[in-house]
Amino acid sequence: MKELLTPKKLVIRTVSALTVLAVVMFTCSLIGTESISLKAVFGGADIQESVNPDYEIFVKVRLPRIILACLVGAALACSGVVFQALLRNPLADPYILGISSGAGLGVIIAVISGLDWMLLGRSPIAFFAFAGALGTIWLVWFIGRLTGKFHVTGLLLAGVVVNAFFSAVIMFLTSIAKSQQVYSTIFWLMGNITEEDFLVLWLGAGFVVTGILALFYISPQLNALSFGEEDARSMGVNIARTQLIAFGIAAAITAIAVSLSGLIGFVGLLVPHAVRLIFGPDHRQLLPLSGIFGAIFLVIADTLARVIIAPAQLPVGVVTAILGGPFFLVLLVKYSRKVSWLR
Amino acid sequence: MSAIIEVKNLSFGYTPQNTILKDISFEIKAGTFLAIAGPNGAGKSTLLNLLCRALKPKSGTIKIDAIPIESYNWEALAGKVAVVRQEFVPVFGFSVIETVLMARTPYFGTFGFENKTDKQIVNEALEATDTAQFASRPLGSLSGGERQRVFIARALAANSPVLLLDEPTSFLDLKHQVGIYDLLKSTQLEQGKTIVSITHDINLAAQYCDQILLLGADGNYHIGETKDVFSTEQIEKVFGVRTFVGSLGKENFFIPLGKFAKDSGQITDKHI
Repeated sequence: MKELLTPKKLVIRTVSALTVLAVVMFTCSLIGTESISLKAVFGGADIQESVNPDYEIFVKVRLPRIILACLVGAALACSGVVFQALLRNPLADPYILGISSGAGLGVIIAVISGLDWMLLGRSPIAFFAFAGALGTIWLVWFIGRLTGKFHVTGLLLAGVVVNAFFSAVIMFLTSIAKSQQVYSTIFWLMGNITEEDFLVLWLGAGFVVTGILALFYISPQLNALSFGEEDARSMGVNIARTQLIAFGIAAAITAIAVSLSGLIGFVGLLVPHAVRLIFGPDHRQLLPLSGIFGAIFLVIADTLARVIIAPAQLPVGVVTAILGGPFFLVLLVKYSRKVSWLR
Repeated sequence: MSAIIEVKNLSFGYTPQNTILKDISFEIKAGTFLAIAGPNGAGKSTLLNLLCRALKPKSGTIKIDAIPIESYNWEALAGKVAVVRQEFVPVFGFSVIETVLMARTPYFGTFGFENKTDKQIVNEALEATDTAQFASRPLGSLSGGERQRVFIARALAANSPVLLLDEPTSFLDLKHQVGIYDLLKSTQLEQGKTIVSITHDINLAAQYCDQILLLGADGNYHIGETKDVFSTEQIEKVFGVRTFVGSLGKENFFIPLGKFAKDSGQITDKHI
């Protein structure tokens, strides 16, 4: 039984991955167009009655950005794992059921309406993105259920149709919008990691970590669900409850990620596959490790986005696609013998 | 022995207008090997799905171990009834041992891990089905026959007294068909399990099973000992096919005779 996952193996791998994450976060926090000294950072906010620039850059610019990259990366990767398991489809990612177009629609409506109120010091864009994402996933779920209880094909088709419809609405609204409004929308759609408010970060992190822990709790049931609903039911899994919890949490953490950072592609597709190829498909391990490696991947991608064309910055979504594609292909070739869906 | 499965006045239809199973009643005693046979569309898989609560009856009751099936929660029902469905390979490459271990999901601890008893039960199931040799291989790399044995191992690992199987030998060659039925029979005899298996092979059913439930497409059904249910007349009535009946020891066997069947004369034990 050497090949089975044990609690000891899981703890060792999770702690090792968390250590790698800590090293990556620390290293990336020191990288940027302005070089900073750690010694100066630990000197505090003020030195000799003036602002400490190293401290300001580290604490107010880089640290929140790295924390945000961690939570968005972890949320998207775990959500990808769940959608791949629920839909039993290797092509599934967090956006497959229309969250992206729903959030995009929310954003362009917010931009075009010219709403200028603020909540928690934020423009309405993030709230509209969040509402658009959750509203769309509810709509897809509702349409999917009309085709039968969690009918996978029905759900996927509903997702495709809603996605296409909302994308058309986005294109229509873009074509009648002013050029500045179009720019704001496209900038958001490309995905960007910028956040300065620690309250928002901790709130987001709290929700995402709680969601991932809840998903870990139902990971044995997700394993059984990989064999189809009927098989899982005969293995004692309460299908309706598991699907509702998994779907609800995955949708919620994706909506949080999307509202904080825009649309960042590839993370939710590539990271779960990469982790699955290396460590196997057991969700008890796949979920926590995907979360951590998703965080690592996005922290690195965002650091590259900050420095590649400095002083300008690239949208992080561009980097995740350019970095993620070839990296995944190497893994795919190397480990393809380990997975059945390639046979 | 008492009845472990009791079905009373069971009716089911996929739409309100259609009724595929009409007023069916039967009992299956603990430790029996029963085959469900009948033409396509007679409702064999539907009945199996009702017996594991994948479907809800239109009317009538099903009791497992004297308790109405709807009174069980899913975990408790999995402890009573294990199901082997027609072959399904998951998209993601679980290994054989991971697959078999999933039958223990209802018994996992708070953190979702198995204990020593679970591992021992899984080992026994792998040994009983002769699948321990490829325990670490991905399910997708096995042949159809090997995979079917793994799914039977998973059903055995559930440690439930009742085993339901939906055409466990479809797509398998003769050797593997016999291998699967040998395995099921030894499970029945050694572990005292009640086995209900859908089959299209009336000869395998006649050879291995104690009882037959023959479902007709017209809603009629017959249940009883193999020799009482299988006869050329009954088979022709239910399947619409003439058969030649021969005997092998105490058991009869049937050769279907199609439009172009050659006259093979008398078949006797000597020929076999």
